Amino acid sequence: MSVAAPLPHDAAPLHVTGVARYVDDIPRPANTLHLAFGLSEVARGRITALDLATVRAAPGVVLAMAASDLAREADCSPSANDEPLLAKGEVFYAGQPVFLVAATSHRAARRAARLARIEIAEEPALLTIEDALAADSRFEEGPRIYVKGDATTAIATAPHLIEGSLTMGGQEHFYLEGQAALALPQEGGDMVVQSSTQHPTEIQHKVADALGLPMNAVRVETRRMGGGFGGKESQGNALAIACALVAQATGRPAKMRYDRDDDMVITGKRHDFRIDYRAGVDATGRILGLEFVHYCRCGWAQDLSLPVADRAMLHADNAYHLPNVRIESHRLKTHTQSATAYRGFGGPQGMLGIERVMDHVAQALGIDPVALRQANYYRAAPASGPGTGRRHGGAHSPKPEEIGPETTPYHMPVEDFILHEMTARLLESSDYAARKAEIASWNAASPLLKRGIAFSPVKFGISFTLTHLNQAGALVHVYQDGSIHMNHGGTEMGQGLFQKVAQVAAARFGVDPGRVKITATDTGKVPNTSATAASSGSDLNGMAVKAACDTIRDRLAAFVAERHQTDPAMVRFEGGRVHVGGEALPFEQVVKAAYEGRISLSATGFYATPKLRWDRIRGEGRPFFYFAYGCAVTEVVLDTLTGENRILRADILHDCGASLNPALDRGQIEGGYVQGAGWLTTEELVWDDKGRLKTHAPSTYKIPACSDRPRVFKVALWDGANREDTIYRSKAVGEPPFMLGISAWLALSDAVQSTGPNWPDLPAPATAEAVLAAIGRARG
Amino acid sequence: MVEGARARVVAGGTDLFPQLGDRLPDGDLVDLGRIRDLNEMGQCPDGWLIGAGTTWSEILRAEMPSGFDGLKAAAREVGSVQIQNRATLVGNICNASPAADGIPPLLTLNAKVILVGPRGTRRMDLPDFLRGPRQTGMRQGEIVAGVLVPRGVCERSAAFRKLGARRYLVISIAMVAAVLRCDAAGRIANARVAVGAASPVARRLPALEAALEGADAAALADPGFVRPEHLAPLAPVSDVRGSAEYRCDAIAELCRRTVLDALSRSPR
Amino acid sequence: MAEVTIKVNGAPVSRDVPDAMLLVEFLREELRLTGTHVGCDTSQCGACVVHLDGRAVKSCTTLAAQAYGAEVTTIEGLAAGEELHPMQRAFHENHGLQCGFCTPGMIMTGIDMVRRYRAAGQELDEAAIRHELEGNLCRCTGYHNIVKSIRQAAGEM
Repeated sequence: MSVAAPLPHDAAPLHVTGVARYVDDIPRPANTLHLAFGLSEVARGRITALDLATVRAAPGVVLAMAASDLAREADCSPSANDEPLLAKGEVFYAGQPVFLVAATSHRAARRAARLARIEIAEEPALLTIEDALAADSRFEEGPRIYVKGDATTAIATAPHLIEGSLTMGGQEHFYLEGQAALALPQEGGDMVVQSSTQHPTEIQHKVADALGLPMNAVRVETRRMGGGFGGKESQGNALAIACALVAQATGRPAKMRYDRDDDMVITGKRHDFRIDYRAGVDATGRILGLEFVHYCRCGWAQDLSLPVADRAMLHADNAYHLPNVRIESHRLKTHTQSATAYRGFGGPQGMLGIERVMDHVAQALGIDPVALRQANYYRAAPASGPGTGRRHGGAHSPKPEEIGPETTPYHMPVEDFILHEMTARLLESSDYAARKAEIASWNAASPLLKRGIAFSPVKFGISFTLTHLNQAGALVHVYQDGSIHMNHGGTEMGQGLFQKVAQVAAARFGVDPGRVKITATDTGKVPNTSATAASSGSDLNGMAVKAACDTIRDRLAAFVAERHQTDPAMVRFEGGRVHVGGEALPFEQVVKAAYEGRISLSATGFYATPKLRWDRIRGEGRPFFYFAYGCAVTEVVLDTLTGENRILRADILHDCGASLNPALDRGQIEGGYVQGAGWLTTEELVWDDKGRLKTHAPSTYKIPACSDRPRVFKVALWDGANREDTIYRSKAVGEPPFMLGISAWLALSDAVQSTGPNWPDLPAPATAEAVLAAIGRARG
Repeated sequence: MVEGARARVVAGGTDLFPQLGDRLPDGDLVDLGRIRDLNEMGQCPDGWLIGAGTTWSEILRAEMPSGFDGLKAAAREVGSVQIQNRATLVGNICNASPAADGIPPLLTLNAKVILVGPRGTRRMDLPDFLRGPRQTGMRQGEIVAGVLVPRGVCERSAAFRKLGARRYLVISIAMVAAVLRCDAAGRIANARVAVGAASPVARRLPALEAALEGADAAALADPGFVRPEHLAPLAPVSDVRGSAEYRCDAIAELCRRTVLDALSRSPR
Repeated sequence: MAEVTIKVNGAPVSRDVPDAMLLVEFLREELRLTGTHVGCDTSQCGACVVHLDGRAVKSCTTLAAQAYGAEVTTIEGLAAGEELHPMQRAFHENHGLQCGFCTPGMIMTGIDMVRRYRAAGQELDEAAIRHELEGNLCRCTGYHNIVKSIRQAAGEM
């Protein structure tokens, strides 16, 4: 069967020959205009003069527009209508688009964009978490607070109190393909937009609003992105809207591609956080009470910051049962880029908080950090179903609260916890205990270089926390020659979604995946889609495609069953043939006959994730359908005199349920781990004291290069099926492995700890400089 | 042609074109890359000549005496292989970035810059040629034809190290080059140490060089061998690549290790 | 304007182009060879690598005019009809790509390194591949399968 086969990415033949098209590669009419934004160099202030005369006079320029030149409001926000396309009298961050140029070439537009005379009366800018706190500058009226039990009392009465504060930096997505859009004006004022976006429906919605058209007048198509990672969930809106406005104004096609420096300066990044913690623990390291305060730097506009900060709170427990916990979350408004979705969507930040607590407790109490983690794990999922031999309700039966699932800080029972077994297997396969001992003795004899090793688990909640987004649609056609055309609302950004879903379609019809044509995401084919985000792509779209395929398959089965005087349930689709009444008819023959028998061979499919119920204000309910799990052991070495370091080895065991495609899933795990480790080590964003981003090119912002990947990299898949009824019992895999990279950061902390007795308090990212400073603290 | 007031001379162009972005170059660009005479590299009566067209890849592949080991190590650290294939050593020094990889090794090799202009040919010591960040002693109408390394230093032992957020593809946080002459007992008889990316132009460290005279590997095993006063000519600044304090600590250690590297390569 | 005459993927082409046109713009805009990508605009990421007279260069740091008279090979010029180059086949078979944007540059760099090491009689081991790939960034894969792909192709080229 095609499902579970490690087939290559569907577009691989196109990529290796250079013919795969990204937005910038699509052939465009000769009269296409090219766009560029003129940007504010000031973080906060009032525009006192804006003169575009020299811009308009520049060679090749056809049009230049400021906010005052727009006929109607053009807003780019995915949430709160607080992101004008062009600054309206005030600027809120350095890099904010102030005006728009359309010219006959990309270079002409960019050159002209530098020629405006912009005068801005500067005002004090709030740049940091501390600035925003001091000014009480925030989104929402006050902090969100989730509570379970009584943390304050539990901490006050606990034998030990461990407290601290952890800062963690943001992260630039650095999708290799920068943001891009192309708008093609149609008859009657309609608009077609090609966009490099994870969210075509949002582009359609925002473009329609900006043009003053109903959504049915705008069609958005996305064949592929050159990477997304959350950075193309909302950040493509501005380009698409700008192109559509210029196309509407001039009647000419309009294209916009950010150069890398513009992309880095204009668009949002991962939220940086400060997390303060107070943990009350017993002598064995069990956490009795825990208080977290999350300070989340959201930037100038709301964007997706509220659900990001929520998800950080929802992962403040990671894999650990916290009987008494209080999580307070401040969503701070600053005059910096509007932080946005990034793989994990706040989850990594929340998780880093508790992993830091675990290490801090282990260090303070002198307990092995892995044993401490295991002791605090949620209770294992009980075996269930017939034959598992449990009787309940008897006089001597255990009480449900002793064997039943424990609940998260948001009161959701953790019913599928498998990390006990996964941890045991990984510790064994990675030879953790022996290596830890060997490293300790090696370090004792090595004054200059120190090695470190660390384990970390991941429990990541799968579903959009905005419950209504958990829906998907699909459109499947079977043509009379037996070829299949498949379309769904998900977008392809390299993760292999299209391939996985095509494998599902092929499996439903029992044909070779080569028979399934995968087509560009198109708001005209499947409407009202959610972003391809929250790791939900294959879960949602796989189910929707399955539903569509099954509708057609059932029609085919009924049709052939009738001809063969048998029950439709007896018809099987397998090996490219339809098996009915002892015959094995070629699939295409059955299809042709069904067509001639006037059977509809086209169907839509729809899926809505079951069981969800969530109150984000009270912090209570079931926001997630299920959890995806993983764990990693990383070993590092660092140079105690320069702080330079590298990853020596990583061992990963990750839970993809029953994998739809193990090769693609492994790719997500390897890539996610390296990206997560990058976030916490070399990737440092630096703003100057005027709020200008100084790291706006790959020469200063360092994503992992080939030499940064672990020398030894062992990835294994956990071979259990999802307990919930997902597509072929698989699990989502986009985001969870990102957080396996936390083990690299913990391993660095472990190596630093070996240089001295004091708590090193390593921040993130652990750049060479930060490591050296932490060594100083460890030595005291 | 090169007398044109606004003409700019390029060889590989790998520094210039990214800097220009979408701004058109002011005036003409004259590409020396195809002038065969400038591509020459090899021994001449006065020492080793490296022509202006010589790429980093060619330096890496060339058979050169031990004194050039530091320069070769620097070549390996320039950008990436595709950049090394285009970029030239002479372009690197003409661009005169404080973080130019080629400059510290050439300083330790006492290199001379050969300038050719309408009024003939002249030689300048590299420290005189480097006037400041992105400023050189080149006169209007002159080009740098090549770099000359005097015969005497070619056979010494040399090393180069670079510190970055990552080893490759990085404009350095700091880099150190060293060239040593040692006696039969393995003691340093003469040392030259230069540091880049830690001052407006790369600098030699005379006090450290003096302290190294007579030192051996055992003396250098002391992590505190390089003292703050040895680094007096440097003025590291804080920027996105690191704070000044971090740089000072790191440079001292980098100097010690680079000298040890060179020492370990010294024939007994 | 400058007259640029280059042999691209075996076919001679000649165009009058602006003096400051980069080779990557020439390939993408003039010749519509869009497999050579622009990733960072500043010679760091390697998505734009092509072969210039048989050597890997970044086409975003080379002027079209500087390539006058040279032979340029791009990702589109590697396959012999339907027959993929061994490096292309290796990236396909080993899942050496995800979003695919860095892939053409990776493949061009991969071929260059295999040829150079062979010519020099050196072994292209894993450490050498890592070193040689420093000028090519990938954000998706974690590089694991890219290194694997190049190793396989090195044995088949």
